Amino acid sequence: MRVDPSYVSNLVGSLDQSQANEQQLTAELSSGVSISSLSQNPVASGENVLLLNQIQQDDSFTQSSSLVSGQLQVADSTLGSVVTELTSAISLATSANNGTMNSSDVKSIANQISGILDEVQSLANTSYQGQYIFSGGQTSTTPFTTSTATSPAVTTYNGDNDINYLGTPNGQKIQLNVPGSQIFLGAGSNSVFGALNSLVADYSSGSVNTAQAVSDTEALGTAMNYVSQQRVTIDNSITQVTTASEAVTSDETQLTSAQSNLMQADVATVSTQLSLSETQQTALEDVIAQLNSTSNSLFSKLPA
Amino acid sequence: MGTISSAFSLISGALNADQAALSITANNVANASTPGYTQEVPTWQENDPLTINGVSYGNGVTETGAKSLRDSVLEERLDQQQQLASASSARLTALDGVQALFTPDSGSSSSKAGDIGGDITSFFSSFSQLEAQPTDNALRQGVLSSATTLAGDVSNAADSLNTQRAGLDQEAAGVTSQVNSLTSAISQLNLQIQSTSPNADAGTLEDQRDEDVSQLSQLIGINQVTTQDNGLSITTTSGQLLVSEGSNFQLTTGAVGGVTDFFLGGSDITSELASGGGQLGGYLTARDEDIPSALASLDQLAYSVSTNVNALNNTGTDLDGTTGSVANPLYIFNQPTTVAGSAANMSVIMTDPNQIAAAAAGQGSGDNSNAIAMANLQNQSLIPPVATSSFSMVQNLSSATAIGGTASGNITVYDSLGKSYDATVTYTNQGNNTWDYSISMPDTVTPDTSVANQVSYQFGAGETVDPGTNLTITGASGGGVATITAPQVVAGEAVGTAGPPPTGYVAALDAALTAKGITGVTVTNTGGVLTIAGATATSGNVIADPVASANATGTLQFNAAGVLTSPAANVSGLTFAGLSDGGATLNLQWGLYAANGTANISQTAAASLQSAQSQNGAAGGSDDQTPIDFYSNFVSTLGATVSGVQAENTAQNASVTQLQTQNNALSSVNLNDEASALSTLQTAYQAASQVFSMLNTIMAAALNLGDQTTVS
Repeated sequence: MRVDPSYVSNLVGSLDQSQANEQQLTAELSSGVSISSLSQNPVASGENVLLLNQIQQDDSFTQSSSLVSGQLQVADSTLGSVVTELTSAISLATSANNGTMNSSDVKSIANQISGILDEVQSLANTSYQGQYIFSGGQTSTTPFTTSTATSPAVTTYNGDNDINYLGTPNGQKIQLNVPGSQIFLGAGSNSVFGALNSLVADYSSGSVNTAQAVSDTEALGTAMNYVSQQRVTIDNSITQVTTASEAVTSDETQLTSAQSNLMQADVATVSTQLSLSETQQTALEDVIAQLNSTSNSLFSKLPA
Repeated sequence: MGTISSAFSLISGALNADQAALSITANNVANASTPGYTQEVPTWQENDPLTINGVSYGNGVTETGAKSLRDSVLEERLDQQQQLASASSARLTALDGVQALFTPDSGSSSSKAGDIGGDITSFFSSFSQLEAQPTDNALRQGVLSSATTLAGDVSNAADSLNTQRAGLDQEAAGVTSQVNSLTSAISQLNLQIQSTSPNADAGTLEDQRDEDVSQLSQLIGINQVTTQDNGLSITTTSGQLLVSEGSNFQLTTGAVGGVTDFFLGGSDITSELASGGGQLGGYLTARDEDIPSALASLDQLAYSVSTNVNALNNTGTDLDGTTGSVANPLYIFNQPTTVAGSAANMSVIMTDPNQIAAAAAGQGSGDNSNAIAMANLQNQSLIPPVATSSFSMVQNLSSATAIGGTASGNITVYDSLGKSYDATVTYTNQGNNTWDYSISMPDTVTPDTSVANQVSYQFGAGETVDPGTNLTITGASGGGVATITAPQVVAGEAVGTAGPPPTGYVAALDAALTAKGITGVTVTNTGGVLTIAGATATSGNVIADPVASANATGTLQFNAAGVLTSPAANVSGLTFAGLSDGGATLNLQWGLYAANGTANISQTAAASLQSAQSQNGAAGGSDDQTPIDFYSNFVSTLGATVSGVQAENTAQNASVTQLQTQNNALSSVNLNDEASALSTLQTAYQAASQVFSMLNTIMAAALNLGDQTTVS
């Protein structure tokens, strides 16, 4: 059978293919990415979209958690200060209740407790980055104001009972705030401001109704314990944010590694392939050069 | 007994034959690099022997001409394979352009630009961050900025796809003139070949014709039929005549629906050319299937994300304490009305970051419940699958049906928003084993009663009122109330306008209201919204007819045995546009044939009719996906399509190479063969010359009768 006399052009086709292959491998080596178009690995391309989505969600949560951590820390330390203030108020009230103080001392105690009341109200009106942290969802409204028109004075809550949460990538919800009314104006004897205002009223005249004052002092103690209980919610949230953040960081590390395995070029394999491809190309070039040489044609054997 | 004279004659014939053969060899060598040239070999013919006194003597050789070494079957196979290879090659080039728009994100920051998957995540993550501090201006700006990036990348991708589609359209149109000049040349060559060489290979002319056919088959899909006197007829693969011996039929183009369609003799053969092969087939497949499919996915993504995000933002409270309303909606994205075109039109219309409704309705600005809900949208299955449905029904049409009698089958199909349609195929017996079919898809319009004392029906673009509409209206008449029963609607009736004078369906309702003496009820049509105001009650359905493509009606032909013979393939490209819910145009394929090739529709003498049905569409919500899953599936599917076409193209090119090698082995000029032939012919010529010379000497000796000096 006759052979295809234009086999050299077929070999040139193979040479083109080999060169295109080398180009692809070189691009993989230089960019470090093994998949530069969807068709190279459609399944991996789709999987890559999902992995990057999870990585990015994790990354976003890490940023959010550092933002909320600041706010939660401020809330926690504020409540710590409130407890300190209330402890000193209780101590002052206890000393006033023991019946040894004269009218002037009692009035002085009333002034000091009033000062503590102002301090606690100021703490309850703490803001973080311009937003009040104890006013529920009404973060631009000063949560507590006190009216001295009556005696005892009345402290009013201007916020709402809204609670914010932070969603984690795995669907968990972390509580971000405790409404101020719940901390400072609890029902019955759990009201910090109620107890403080009553004590100020108890001592402001200089004479002490001991039974009433003792009862109000006990109420302040109860209210203080209640504040500490509310603080636990904030502390729990801080712990949850830290734990979730650590879990997410670890998850992100694993996902990033999976994504790298999926998309990054394996330098050793690509280099080997490149080397093989180069050898093939050299061989093809030699064959073509040999076949193209005129001495291979029968015409060269004919007498001139 | 032979004579010296006859030996002279014989050897001079041999010298002539050798010269002719040498000339053929020279021609082969000269044309060794001519494209399409077929190697020629001399045809040697032994002369009839001379019989003298009952004894036979050989009478030499004659060279009767050159013969082209051609295998027309092989050439035709090569042409057919080239059609497929150039179709997949043209389609692959187009698809490479499409997939370049969606290059995989390697994860490095530089590769993120333009990555829609990353944009989707960034957008929803910006709401996650807003959860932490819902009043923070920088975080609110972050939401708008990531929305702008997402909308920009989606609309850029859609614009690029549209540009690529327009480019393909131009390239496809450009093929027409090449096709026409080749068919014209082939018809001219047919005439020359038929007049010069009706019964034999026409050599060079046939080479030219083969070369032209080969070029033509790379441009479009063709079939060749050899006709009498060595002529050639060429049809498209679907059977439309392009060349009939000496005449050719010109392919023309015309704009239909914004793209170029191709016509032959007045018929639109675009879809046949798309599936026929050749470069044009590849261009048209990419233009009419691949790119529209990618665009439909992007549209679906853009529509679902825009409408869901807008709706949720509209229900919340923004930083200024405002909640969205019909008059002043709090929309982040340009609100799309239809799925089609959503991607290209995707943009951010919100300019004030305060308008992002992070808080739930009625909550203070520090609330983040709505921001959480928005962030959670990315985990919700809010994107319905792209609407492409195929349906089939098994149906035995009774040959006993009277002429003009009908039979029908029903099928449920779904659009891109999951709305269901009860499509009906009606078959009408035309006699002679022929049935006409007509596919209708009534679209029940959902009434809108959001405004008090009125009901409105949003018709899709171009939809008409279906005769099945049975709207009844009750209104005040005199001292009491009266009801109009549904006025009859004629097929294809337009919605009409209130005029004056009123027209269409509006006029029919008006006339019925007047006839019943009902006052205070107004019927209007504003931009396709039919509104009935002031009625005390309405009932019944308003049914619309979407705009159907031409192939929603056609003819089925059966043979005497009741087997379907035409159409020979499934009916594809069935479209129903302008749906009332704004869903993307429904693309349907009617599966006339089962996977094993047997027809689903047959004609039998039995009077029984049997119907079965199936469909690939999806009801609302059943197969919905999250935005990122949808995008992930989109890139995987696109990648798999490109990869499939690549594999197909590689295989087809390998097959072309093999066939080319086979054909070259037979038909192309092999210089070694020519060198060998030259050498052989030279030797033969020398030998013949020697014989001639010897004969000359012998003749001289005979003439001189021994005297050496007279004649030499």
